Amino acid sequence: MNRPVGPILRMSDDVDAIVAAIIEDNPDKDITVTDRGAYTRVSGPGELRLTRASIARQLGRDYEMRELQGLMSAFAGRIDMTSEEVRWHLGSPATISSSKSTLEEPS
Amino acid sequence: MARMPREQWYDIARDLDWELSYVDHEAVFPEWHSGQGKIPREAWARWDESYKISYPEYVATQREKEAGAYSVKAALQKSKVFDQLDEGWKSVAKEHFGATAAIEDMAVYAELRMARFGLSPAWRNMAMFGALDETRHAQIGLQFAHELVGKDPQYDWANKAYQTNEWGIIAARATFDGMMMTPNVVDTAVQLPFTFETGFSNVQFVALAADALESGDINFANMISSIQTDEARHAQQGGPTLEILMEHDPRRAQWIVDKTFWTSARLFAILTGPGMDYYTPVEMRKQSYKEFMQEWIAEQFLDQIRDYGLKRPWYWDEFIAGLDTWHHSLHLGVWYWRPTVWWKPQGGVSPEEREWLNEKYPNWEKQFGWMWDVIIENINSGRMEQTLPETLPWLCSLCHLPVGTAASPNNDKYPVRSYPLKHNGHTYHFCSRTCRQIWWEDKDTLHDPTVIERLLAGEIQPPTVEGILAWMGLTPDVMGDDAYGYRWAKAYVPAAAAAS
Ligand SMILES: [Fe+2]
Ligand SMILES: [Fe+2]
Ligand SMILES: [Zn+2]
Repeated sequence: MNRPVGPILRMSDDVDAIVAAIIEDNPDKDITVTDRGAYTRVSGPGELRLTRASIARQLGRDYEMRELQGLMSAFAGRIDMTSEEVRWHLGSPATISSSKSTLEEPS
Repeated sequence: MARMPREQWYDIARDLDWELSYVDHEAVFPEWHSGQGKIPREAWARWDESYKISYPEYVATQREKEAGAYSVKAALQKSKVFDQLDEGWKSVAKEHFGATAAIEDMAVYAELRMARFGLSPAWRNMAMFGALDETRHAQIGLQFAHELVGKDPQYDWANKAYQTNEWGIIAARATFDGMMMTPNVVDTAVQLPFTFETGFSNVQFVALAADALESGDINFANMISSIQTDEARHAQQGGPTLEILMEHDPRRAQWIVDKTFWTSARLFAILTGPGMDYYTPVEMRKQSYKEFMQEWIAEQFLDQIRDYGLKRPWYWDEFIAGLDTWHHSLHLGVWYWRPTVWWKPQGGVSPEEREWLNEKYPNWEKQFGWMWDVIIENINSGRMEQTLPETLPWLCSLCHLPVGTAASPNNDKYPVRSYPLKHNGHTYHFCSRTCRQIWWEDKDTLHDPTVIERLLAGEIQPPTVEGILAWMGLTPDVMGDDAYGYRWAKAYVPAAAAAS
């Protein structure tokens, strides 16, 4: 299963540069960018990464990875964040036998 | 001075913990708060949040967020932007402020309980950030609404709503109590940060920002999407907790997600649905409520619960079918009982708006159009008293929303009916099988009689519409009325009559 993962970025001057950095950091991925005005959804199948170095290059200034927190209103998938890189990915799910509630329905 | 990267010191600093020697573990971490259940105590040592932040980073980032939100507010305060906002859109904001500002404050206590009773130091540390975040949210919600109180007293309900017995507030309070206050902290972590904050609150705080910005409410769009950046981080209290719970007690995990998803979905059908599909001016709507719910919930959130090994909730088909009906029924109800709300519901069924509804919801006309036609006919004939309530509808003992709104007229699969249950000599009524099921499991922690039950018990005096409104805290200057003063109905007056 390669379901989409990635950030949802709120309106900000930096959005275009960050989208460009994501594209740069994931050269083999088919990346979808959905612009809904107040937010932009960036998605790629299964895993996406984004480095501090690429953002700094795209913005043309120094960048601290924590700054991304100010414009990431949500994200799809799980996240890993270090000072140099953020990664959105899927986990390795445990298994569960049944979803059906096995509780007795009252009558 | 070069700083050591966070990764090199964070885990050690975070994992400060100690062995208790003067008191029993159970005395410090009682089961009813700590919610260990079948999870062995050692399992918590593995708990690890992945969206890491140190305290200095937190302070720097939050300062920037606050500066961003308040500088936009300050700039707009001097402009005419607010006065030019559409009356329907303003009601979206008023409903939001009243229903959420004080709930953010309640979330502070939920986070603090997690920070106190969690069984791992990393877990407790993350919840401390959550408590600080929620303090910010409560403050910003109250502050942004406060400056508008002088222009319109309905904004005062940002502060007042949860201090009243207004019926929608009773519904919201019951839902959030069940999510934040009554469960142990492990269940809370799966209910609030995982199910609610990575699922539903995105629809209210990010998706809605798209409509807000289109409607010209830059300030509101900026505020809610800024709030949600905190949620995106502290919501991770839930994911790693769910992972541990799935390993040791998957049935418990599935049940907690299932029930919270359902109660959230019911609440959003009144909190978010009418605002997106009726109050927001039609040309400003980015997507329909159903489309936003599909994007954020049926796709993104469903992917997420699958990623943790959970199954779709057992009532999934009913939930999906409900995206075509629940919020339409609730909108009709809110508009009809408009004096009982603190905003001005926009009818939203002028010919152009109706065309939009029918395009987005192909069964809308068959399900709801004929009822609006009766209302329109009454408005245009000057029979206003027939468009206003004389009684209250029967309410669901779990979600507290009107029985009948989890179904719709002319829908054979989910017909309008009550799902009753007799318990200890009392007959309870529910809007759906699912609400009844959840109530049955949780009945020992639920103590909210519905407004109707209170009315019948004689708690509301006099038992008239005026008495009920006073009991709900609605004063004449705040009571809701049609946002456009009924002018949308004029378009249905036959041309000849309109010309004369
Ligand atoms: Fe919050
Ligand atoms: Fe939160
Ligand atoms: Zn219900």
